[in-house]
Amino acid sequence: MAKKTYDLLFKLLLIGDSGVGKTSILFRFSDDAFTSTFISTIGIDFKIKTVELRGKKIKLQIWDTAGQERFHTITTSYYRGAMGIMLVYDVTDERSFENIVKWLRNIDEHANEDVEKMILGNKCDIDGKRAVNKDRGEAIAREYGVPFLETSAKANTNIDKAFNDLATAILDKYAGKEPGDAPDRVMVDPRRGDTSRRSCC
Amino acid sequence: MSTSQDLPGIIQAKLSSGEAAITVHEASLMQGWVRASRILALVEHENECALFIFISSRMPPEVFTDLAIERVIPVDADFKCEIDAGEQSVDVYVNISSRKLKLLFEMIPGLKTNNFVSEIMRSMEALSKRRGPPPEFQWLHKYSGSSNRNSADCVASSLDTSDDDAFKASKTEAEKMLDILDSPDIVVPRQSIAQGATPIAARESVIRHQMSMKEDDYTFTQTLRMFIGTWNVNGLPPSSSLTPWLASDLEPPDIYAIGFQELDLSKEAFLFNDTPREEEWRKAVMAGLHPGGKYRQVALVRLVGMMLILLVEEKHVKHVRNAAFETVGTGIMGKMGNKGGVAIRVEIHNTSICFVNSHLAAHVEEYERRNQDYHDICSRLSFSKFAPVKCIKDHDQIYWLGDLNYRITEVEINTVRDLINQNYFPALIQYDQLHRQRSQNNVFEGYHEGAITFKPTYKYDPGTDDWDSSEKNRAPAWCDRVLWRGDGIEQKEYRSHPILKTSDHKPVSALFDSQVRVIDVVKYRKVHEEVMKKLDKLENEFLPQVTVDNTEIIFDIVRYLEPQSQELIIANTGQVPVQFEFIKKLDDSKCCKEWLNIDPPVSFIMPGEKCDVKLEVFVDKKSAFKLNSGVDKLYDILVLHLEGGKDIFITVTGNYERSCFGSSLEALVHVSVPVREIPIGKLVELETTKEAPGGMEPYPIPKEIWFLVDHLYRHGLKKQNLFLLPGLHSELLAIRNWLDNGSSEPLPGSLHSIAEALLLLLDSTSEPIVPFNLQSVCLGASSNYLQCKQIVVQLPEYRKNVFLYLCFFLQELLSHANENGLDAKTLATVFGGIFLRDSPRPSARANSTVDRKKANFVYHFLVNDLSDYVVSKALHLGPSS
Repeated sequence: MAKKTYDLLFKLLLIGDSGVGKTSILFRFSDDAFTSTFISTIGIDFKIKTVELRGKKIKLQIWDTAGQERFHTITTSYYRGAMGIMLVYDVTDERSFENIVKWLRNIDEHANEDVEKMILGNKCDIDGKRAVNKDRGEAIAREYGVPFLETSAKANTNIDKAFNDLATAILDKYAGKEPGDAPDRVMVDPRRGDTSRRSCC
Repeated sequence: MSTSQDLPGIIQAKLSSGEAAITVHEASLMQGWVRASRILALVEHENECALFIFISSRMPPEVFTDLAIERVIPVDADFKCEIDAGEQSVDVYVNISSRKLKLLFEMIPGLKTNNFVSEIMRSMEALSKRRGPPPEFQWLHKYSGSSNRNSADCVASSLDTSDDDAFKASKTEAEKMLDILDSPDIVVPRQSIAQGATPIAARESVIRHQMSMKEDDYTFTQTLRMFIGTWNVNGLPPSSSLTPWLASDLEPPDIYAIGFQELDLSKEAFLFNDTPREEEWRKAVMAGLHPGGKYRQVALVRLVGMMLILLVEEKHVKHVRNAAFETVGTGIMGKMGNKGGVAIRVEIHNTSICFVNSHLAAHVEEYERRNQDYHDICSRLSFSKFAPVKCIKDHDQIYWLGDLNYRITEVEINTVRDLINQNYFPALIQYDQLHRQRSQNNVFEGYHEGAITFKPTYKYDPGTDDWDSSEKNRAPAWCDRVLWRGDGIEQKEYRSHPILKTSDHKPVSALFDSQVRVIDVVKYRKVHEEVMKKLDKLENEFLPQVTVDNTEIIFDIVRYLEPQSQELIIANTGQVPVQFEFIKKLDDSKCCKEWLNIDPPVSFIMPGEKCDVKLEVFVDKKSAFKLNSGVDKLYDILVLHLEGGKDIFITVTGNYERSCFGSSLEALVHVSVPVREIPIGKLVELETTKEAPGGMEPYPIPKEIWFLVDHLYRHGLKKQNLFLLPGLHSELLAIRNWLDNGSSEPLPGSLHSIAEALLLLLDSTSEPIVPFNLQSVCLGASSNYLQCKQIVVQLPEYRKNVFLYLCFFLQELLSHANENGLDAKTLATVFGGIFLRDSPRPSARANSTVDRKKANFVYHFLVNDLSDYVVSKALHLGPSS
């Protein structure tokens, strides 16, 4: 059944190496909570959250994907249909940063052409073990023309902003387009023409 | 939701005698954050109607004992029914409210819902047209725990000790639901879901409902001073300033609602509803307002002599919305405008207010007619620009003013004047018709009027303070009144203004401190956000959730034709029933590899329950070759999809023990050692290159075939029904092991098992002995031995070898037909299917004609002399090295 608390429905996707904190980012955003125990996502899970942007209620359906290498072939099949993709790396894990290029290529190969992207360098609260400087994140983002933020699901840094920015980018792109892009609306007239019988003048 | 044919009958059985269910309908009650099934019935008893809400222990109910009455709501003046038409939705939302009780029902759009709502509307109309005392709903008292008549608006059911368990179960469920409504966190009891409650889909109607329930959280009250004035001016123009009436108080009011009656008594006014008086009096009003405030006219409405002006202090104007006015004539022919009412409605901040100015029927004895006029105005006056249409009663506050024309009767006129002169009004009010009619609940139900402490305002000799001295010598009366209805209204003054002498009536005014609800935008946003958050949270919590006990299923060693299984336990740990399905991945045609079987691949799990899924690995001829040749591995990722929810990946791995079964003849002839003894990967290499390792001379036929045939040749030529009776599965596995591992022991198993093993081995090769692409040629040639022979001669070497070797053997078998009872036709049929195996593609479907041709093809080679074929010596049957 169609649900109508929102004006628009955006499907977002979180991708990136295993352990970079995709699930934590989603958990922080949807439940405003954080847990440090690592449970590897074995599959594809999603949560919804309604945000208000530019006076419009937007329902975000955010898909969290398994980062493990062995699932890559399968997870790429979920790219299609995503309107926005968050590429997440771990600022304490050099390799996860290097793989961003690989993830970007994956998007090119499997996602919709006009998908909005954003790169997140997560775990920015950890200072001691930082392996990737913010400059490098910014540089790669600039190189590929993708917005970039350093985030921390643990410290709740930039999480809301990341999703709001991504959703706003999608909204701006869809603005001006036909409302056919909006979630399907079923036109049913609940006996509106019949209400006049309430007054007996 | 399907309505039982018998539903009305079941409901009727639940009711007492004299009560008739007019219409019955199934609906979902939106309670807090869940939706629960209910049955609604509009029940009539002696022209009184009530809405019954039933809970049923099963849907649809089968007997009346399944039903429990949850609530009974009398269709009285407070009863409201609104359809949420503000949104295009797949469902119809119906708001039922009575005083503080607000219920939201979801109904499936269609004729049934339309009929049901129509019946409710009809019963409300009937109520509004009803004359005489309002319904008392005595018959509902038995449904009420506490039979307090006045508070019986919503009668909550009480637990009847005689009732059955279904009742109690339902009742507790209802209570749980109510708990949810108040609980800060959403904890939806699983059993309530199991009992048919489902989470509310987040929708505008639900949000509006939730927001209206939480109104106190984001509104504060602001007190506005209301000046309500009424004056019957007897058709005269203003002759003096209205200041003594309109500005008699120290503080300026915030709102003025000023009503006039008999503004113009001329024929023109009556017939054409046009009069210069409107503007004259309007100006007089504007000139007479309190000098302490600046007022803006929000609306003015006039019907013949009845005029109502609404003025709002400038600072409040921006908070006034949705102003509308309407008129109703109740005069001659029941519609002319010499009598009747005019009304203005507005919303000030978040409070809706309706002002009604009415001039009811005249003449002392006509009080019933006045009652009637009141009811007519109530039922006929509606603000039609709203959807749904708003009536007078649909407002938070109502101020009713006017010349209501009720008189003082049943008392001597002199007594009246005496009491007036003593200012002894409490005694006099007892004879006031309006007072009496109200105390009998015949008119103005639910309205309040302040104590009258002023002299009757009618009838004076115009220009004086003297009582009517005309021939009619009318008794004084409180014709001019102000009543109100609604919450947060406090009357500060109720008085007349005798100093204004223009008319035979004196003007009256009432001053109120009225509380309007003001939306705190910041708080509103916050509450709204919280509601949205809760709905999000709810929606997330109501996503299907399962846990699986294992996402990595590992099979240790898997052997050909030896099934193995493991169980996967899927537990529904969420709040809602789950439908799961193992779905296929992108390019796959099935949800898993062909060597795996999932049972069940699709199923349904209730919350708190589990489902065991059996994963069986079984490598047979379909998959063995791919595993042997390395095209495939015992590795698969299953996608366990929850409908409307997440996907879980389940990895299945195992070690396949390679075997001669499922290999190609070309590879096998190159292997001189048992298959298991060649290094891993070698078989794969052989299957791809088909070249002998280390220059070994390949065998003319695979040694495994030779072993089996040789054994049968030595021991089985006289065995009856060879190749016709099945072997034992365990012996087949032993034979497979013997072939694959090599052994100094003799070949195990009975002759029948060995014969079947031979058939299975031949049947498992990647390609049949006659390649797929030659099959149709063979079938076409099957009636002609020479053509068949031609084909066989041209077969690839090893295939030809195997073919002929087997034919030699079969001829040998047939030479012992006396002992073994075999015949050429039977064997030709058995081996026809093996030599000319059908392609695994689904297009190639077996049929009897094809089978017969295959048998014919082989038959030639069983009955004709094969000695002229050039074959390797090694193919000769009998003792060999």
